[in-house]
Amino acid sequence: MSKDQNSIGKSVVDLPANVTRSIFRNPLPTSDRGRAATSFTNFFLHIQPVRVSRQALRPSYTMGLGLISFFLFAILTATGVLLMFYYVPSTTQAYDRMLDLRSSVVFGVILRNMHRWAAHGMVACVFLHMCRVFFTGSYKPPREFNWVIGVCLFGLTLLSSFTGYLLPWDQLAFWAITVGTSIAGYAPLVGKAIKFILLGDATVGQEALLRFYVLHVVVLPLVLTIFVAVHFWRIRKDGGLAKPESEPAPKRVPVQVEIQDDPAPIMATGSIAVAAPARRFTIQGLVRGPLVKVGRLEEDTVFSWPNLLVAELFVLLLTIAGVMLVSFFFNAPLEQPVNVMHPPNPAKAPWYFLGLQEQVSYSAFWGGIGVPGIEVLLLLLLPYIDRGKEGVGRWFARQRIFANSIFLLFVIVNIYLIVIGTFFRGANWQFVSPF
Amino acid sequence: MVATSTEAKSTEPQVGRRRFLGWLTGLGIAGSAALGSLATFFFIRPRTTYGQPNRFKIGRSEGFPPGSRIAIDPKRVCIVREGNKVAAISTTCTHLGCIIAPSATGFQCPCHGSRFDVDGNVTGGPAPKALAWYAVTLTPSGELEVDKDNEIQTGTYLSV
Repeated sequence: MSKDQNSIGKSVVDLPANVTRSIFRNPLPTSDRGRAATSFTNFFLHIQPVRVSRQALRPSYTMGLGLISFFLFAILTATGVLLMFYYVPSTTQAYDRMLDLRSSVVFGVILRNMHRWAAHGMVACVFLHMCRVFFTGSYKPPREFNWVIGVCLFGLTLLSSFTGYLLPWDQLAFWAITVGTSIAGYAPLVGKAIKFILLGDATVGQEALLRFYVLHVVVLPLVLTIFVAVHFWRIRKDGGLAKPESEPAPKRVPVQVEIQDDPAPIMATGSIAVAAPARRFTIQGLVRGPLVKVGRLEEDTVFSWPNLLVAELFVLLLTIAGVMLVSFFFNAPLEQPVNVMHPPNPAKAPWYFLGLQEQVSYSAFWGGIGVPGIEVLLLLLLPYIDRGKEGVGRWFARQRIFANSIFLLFVIVNIYLIVIGTFFRGANWQFVSPF
Repeated sequence: MVATSTEAKSTEPQVGRRRFLGWLTGLGIAGSAALGSLATFFFIRPRTTYGQPNRFKIGRSEGFPPGSRIAIDPKRVCIVREGNKVAAISTTCTHLGCIIAPSATGFQCPCHGSRFDVDGNVTGGPAPKALAWYAVTLTPSGELEVDKDNEIQTGTYLSV
């Protein structure tokens, strides 16, 4: 009896420690072995490598742009799910719900502001991230395909933003989508069909609102999440962020994995970076990875716990702070409710599409489909066209002056078109001076 | 796993059957994916639309006095009457689908500045082709009916 009481008493006393130990497999690390184990045994931390190069941690190298994009996506998901509780994708109710966010929903305004500004921020950061990757030559082998996934992610970001643009059902939304989907209609052969399927009708109306809603809240975020997961996974598998050539990139030697009872060896290419020549390991040895030293440790690296984690959390904090700050001082625009009879003059798309709209004002096919199509194709094929191996992992490397100049020209032209479309176009798309 | 692999090695015909089943499975999965994509395509392409009908009555011809150009924005059509002749010209811009408004010289688009003459021919801006003319008929009840599914040649009027 007393023994029972003792054991119950002991389990009560030990309860917090036992629960904690059952959740976290390692105590807070005090040794290198512990730091490695912490990265390795935590579900969320095991996405990261155990050690990370100092270069990858330098703010001046990456500017944290990819990470900021990801955190903005997280903020968009969180605020978007909350906004869904009050939103109705109906032409008769959607606009009223926007007004309700202002008048009757607690934190409605700040949530909508955060969602809107984070969306603008994400478009900007994803584009700047692409510029960073280009100017540091980080799309070179073995990272070609991750660049392609990145271009797809940029496209998905634009599509998400475009579909979300219709949902407030105000004048801005209606006419921007009318113009935007008409551009899709200019695509040869399939254009008309794409436009009809996208709108579910001949013109923008209830069917279009419902379709854009489903795309915006389910389909696109789901696809985007899958692409982000593959994007992150490949960073690891491609040996982390691109490093300058002075440090030899880790050789990716095929490792023969010996699985007991299976006579055929499995080739695991690039799954483990080994500087030493190929050796034979048992599967157990590979799983222990960071605890079993394979070859020499890479020079100029630090443990991810806590260096990488703290850096990431700091960027997260900065991102949240930035979005909150902008959302406190600037309200997301909401124009008059949709009036299908009276387009605003000029009818303008969101700023990141104004370059496209400016091009379209010269020629609908070439500005809306032809030139952008060629640009996207060139972006997708870029790592397979530019096969030079020089100047990887450094900003504006001298060896890459030709490629960098071309890309800089592409960036400047697009920014120039956006500035013209935003500030210098008035009624009937006439040239006006903002000054 | 261990047991089956050794078994497979010892009996030769089983390998063939297993490979055949493997191919069959692959074919089935690929077929399911293809059929599924096709079915999804047909599913999301609407068979009925809920918007306005493309054929509609616009009232008696007395409502449109000679020389008038009256735009019916909800129907996206402009009724032009010259003397005893009536025509319906589309007010959807051929550039990117904005609603254009009648102006002194014809029509003008607010979105990208396309301009058209009174017959809908392009006189400026990025619009790639002239505005569509739709068939106008007189119904037995004496009302005018516009059929937007029936595009007719520019300059074709209905005498009333």
